[in-house]
Amino acid sequence: MDLVTQLFPWITNGPLITVQVMSGLSVGMFLFLVSVGMSLIFGVTRIVNLAHGSFYMVGAYLMVTLVEILPERPWAFWVALLVAPLGVAVLGGVIEVGLLRRIYRRDPLMQLILTFGLILVISTLVLLAWGPDNKSVSRPEALAGSVSIAGQPFPSYYLLVLGLAPVVAVVLWLIFYRTRWGMLIRAATVDREMLGALGVNVSLLYTQVFVFGSWLAGFGGALAAPTIAVALGMDGDVLTTAFVVVVIGGLGSFAGTFIGALLVGLLQSFGILVFPAVSIVLLFAIMAIVLIVRPWGLLGRPEA
Amino acid sequence: MRERLGGSMRWVSALFALWTVIAAAGSAAAQGKAIRIGEINSYSGLATVYTFPYREGIHMAVKEINDAGGVLGRPLEFIFRDDKLKPDEAVKAARELVGQEKVDFLAGCISSGVGLAISAYAKEAKTLYFATHCQTSRLTWDEGHRYVAHTTNNVNQYIRALAKKAAATPYKKWAHISPDYEYGHNVWDEFIAYLKQLKPDVQVVQQNWPKLGETDHSSYITALLQSGAEGMLSVVWGAQEIAFVKQARPFGLFEKIHLVSASVGNPDELDPLGKEAPVGALTPGFAWYDEGMQKRHPKLAEWVKKYEVRTKKEPTLGASWGYASTYLIAEAIKRAKSADTEKVIAVLGEGYEMEFPWGKVIMRGCDQQAIPPQWTGVVKMNAQGKPVLADIEETHGRDLIKSCDEVAKLRAAAAEKKK
Amino acid sequence: MLSPRSLVVLLVALAAAPLALPPFFLQLLTEIAIIGLFATAFNLLMGYGGMLSFGHAAYFALGAYAAALLVRKAGVPMLLALPVAPVVAAVGALVFGVFIVRLSHTYFAMLSLAFGQIVYTVIFKWKSFTGGDDGLLDVWPPPYLKSPAAYYYFALIVVGLALWALHAVVDSPFGYALKAVRENPRRARFIGVNVRRHQLVAFVISGAFSGLAGGLFAFYNGSVFPDFAYFTKSFEPLVVALLGGVQSFGGPLVGAFAFKVLEWLISRQWPVYWPLFLGSVVILVIVVLPQGFVGLLGRRPWARPVGSS
Repeated sequence: MDLVTQLFPWITNGPLITVQVMSGLSVGMFLFLVSVGMSLIFGVTRIVNLAHGSFYMVGAYLMVTLVEILPERPWAFWVALLVAPLGVAVLGGVIEVGLLRRIYRRDPLMQLILTFGLILVISTLVLLAWGPDNKSVSRPEALAGSVSIAGQPFPSYYLLVLGLAPVVAVVLWLIFYRTRWGMLIRAATVDREMLGALGVNVSLLYTQVFVFGSWLAGFGGALAAPTIAVALGMDGDVLTTAFVVVVIGGLGSFAGTFIGALLVGLLQSFGILVFPAVSIVLLFAIMAIVLIVRPWGLLGRPEA
Repeated sequence: MRERLGGSMRWVSALFALWTVIAAAGSAAAQGKAIRIGEINSYSGLATVYTFPYREGIHMAVKEINDAGGVLGRPLEFIFRDDKLKPDEAVKAARELVGQEKVDFLAGCISSGVGLAISAYAKEAKTLYFATHCQTSRLTWDEGHRYVAHTTNNVNQYIRALAKKAAATPYKKWAHISPDYEYGHNVWDEFIAYLKQLKPDVQVVQQNWPKLGETDHSSYITALLQSGAEGMLSVVWGAQEIAFVKQARPFGLFEKIHLVSASVGNPDELDPLGKEAPVGALTPGFAWYDEGMQKRHPKLAEWVKKYEVRTKKEPTLGASWGYASTYLIAEAIKRAKSADTEKVIAVLGEGYEMEFPWGKVIMRGCDQQAIPPQWTGVVKMNAQGKPVLADIEETHGRDLIKSCDEVAKLRAAAAEKKK
Repeated sequence: MLSPRSLVVLLVALAAAPLALPPFFLQLLTEIAIIGLFATAFNLLMGYGGMLSFGHAAYFALGAYAAALLVRKAGVPMLLALPVAPVVAAVGALVFGVFIVRLSHTYFAMLSLAFGQIVYTVIFKWKSFTGGDDGLLDVWPPPYLKSPAAYYYFALIVVGLALWALHAVVDSPFGYALKAVRENPRRARFIGVNVRRHQLVAFVISGAFSGLAGGLFAFYNGSVFPDFAYFTKSFEPLVVALLGGVQSFGGPLVGAFAFKVLEWLISRQWPVYWPLFLGSVVILVIVVLPQGFVGLLGRRPWARPVGSS
């Protein structure tokens, strides 16, 4: 026990651990909201949407603009939070119908490369539209402060995220397992041709999923905006982390994404305490290990 | 498998033809009579928040110089290239500028890696390179040579100014949060070395090295809260610092630990932070709007006005750097009475001084390093509720910077290591 | 290959280039040759092997750093250091490849990306050995190879030999077996081809020649930096190969030429727009390309995109 306390002096520090765990969980919840869209799109369409980070970025930038143009009232933030992702959903829809649909019959890797092209296009368009300056959104008044947890201040805004993420997870589950649309989506993942033969408009279904996934990415960006800087380059940062999360959890499984996100969040939180020197490589190492040992992730479906 | 090059061959031949025409035209196109400076910097992507105002500063200076008759009666011309934040792209651009465009001098950089790469090329190509926006002290010291000069601040000076102010505070226990790359280490090492020199009883209680571009700092924040530190240095910058400050405030970090920051005073960080700016933080910055500054430097307000009329925006520190660099280069050429590289290097070796709207800048001969005024201030909210720097204290780099002897020792040590 | 006559014309033009072209354009051609080699090596995997690697920059960087480290830390002359580059890269490709080839398609790409990022991070963090983000500077060829024309000839010869070797691989029984594996692994297995072994060998060869390109690039550039291993560098051979056409051996070379020339023309005038242009070109090539990846494999275009290879 002594050895343990010597190596990790913080381990007996109850309040520190509590706050670290809470932080890790909220980071994880953020990651879940940000990554679940990517996981969803892959699960149904088999496309790894590399432009997911770009959608997240656009969601954050739209949030900035909306908060700027709306009057300074308490409800403005929440309205912006709901409207910003819609903009991203529209963008996603345009991309899906205009570009991705044309190449659905191709190898998914071609689609993956196309989404890479999108990253370059979208990032330049953002620079042209919003300019190079850094931007910021403030937390809404009600959530700008902190609450006391184990005697330590903890940002109230993170409580919102902690609460919202599981709700989103449950809603998603309900949609996919308790609605007809959800059933069609699941059927499409198993046998798209058969579904088409049965008279279902599979193309429309794919578009809907892509739009929904884009909405989720935009929502993640809009929700995250008050806690970070809205700046160029944020698309790359989030992409690599989301990637790791969905791989660990299992592409296509949002329960998996949930768990993967929690793991990564907690890992990041404690990683700097336990392995400060290697925490940066840790994530990719774990991603590699998961891919080697169990490529479909914790809860993904094994493929042929 | 059949080769199907036919179609693409035609397309490629067309490109090749176009290319040779341009190449021929390019080499025939005269150097004219202008003095040409090849400037390499990051003009796409996330660095543009700094380089766009910087370039405006250059344009403004070039116009002034040319309107006044140019340099040695010849117009000054800058040719810009984008390094895409990649050192190998910068080297490629340098080759094009020197070999093809036949520029007289090279300039530019924002990333230290790029600056070092261009400097290494300049040494090979025996072309004089004026490093501008990048800050690493290694440019003119550890990796210094006669073909590189640095026209702006380096880390050593402005961090020492900051450390000096930090030493005046009562805090003994210090922690820091710095991005884990060359600049981050450079700044922290300089800060703590000088702080300890001035205040030997200073203790480092915690070190935090998030990766460059980290978005979530909550684990570092909670660690800092438990560190027992009284003062902390934040070396994270730009979007990362904005994120850090926004995340740290609700944790009450800055109430517990006094924040000293290497860059939060810059408008690219203060303006977006707005009412979330860390009031009370000690930081360097170019506070051209400060009453005291304008009293000390009567020409400053006029310069700012001119810049604002030109660009419809307020100037940044980078803008002043672009402006000063242009003039410093022009001055060196003037004094050499020629644009010949060796003659200009000789002038640099002797050193000279220039007055700017914000004070005197010294170009030091022994290392070809610029020594500008240094300002530190405290973040405060102004009457309009906008965060600004106040209580500006001005010193000069010459009272802080390593001496020529110390630099010589550094260079010798670096040369030893290379063997 | 090209018809013998066009080939001779091409070789003569390349050999005579230093007489007609200014030094910068020789350097651009040198760079085109190096990237062309990298892309051709990459295409061995993608076009011929049907495997998309997202972490190929790792082998390029391993080669570059191996050569640079030998020159800087051990004082080895360039001509001895350069051959080590493909060897080190091949070892890296072997170590990683063993794991990567066990996966297919998307997972193959993702694991290769993960390994690539690990290589990048190690180079970045291991400052005492690799110089970290300061990179290794003063990595120049010996004086008699330093001039643009001299290094141009040198690179051309090395790349030419490498391409000849790669072409021999592609045209050999191994190459045909590899194509068979790409077309239908199950059928290939039935006729006795060891699928995994062929993929691994292809991966190692591809990695080795990528490392050679990296080594050549190190001396061309005069310095090496960690971002040689970053995943954005991995997209370069991909885009280049796509542009030129993955169906043919010479496609990536053509793509390298087109890419570098376009990059030079556009980036000098409108740097802000270069990423936009590049992204648009990638999208255009994919959408408009008559035969995508699956088409290369000769399958029905409406075949199920995943799960059957």
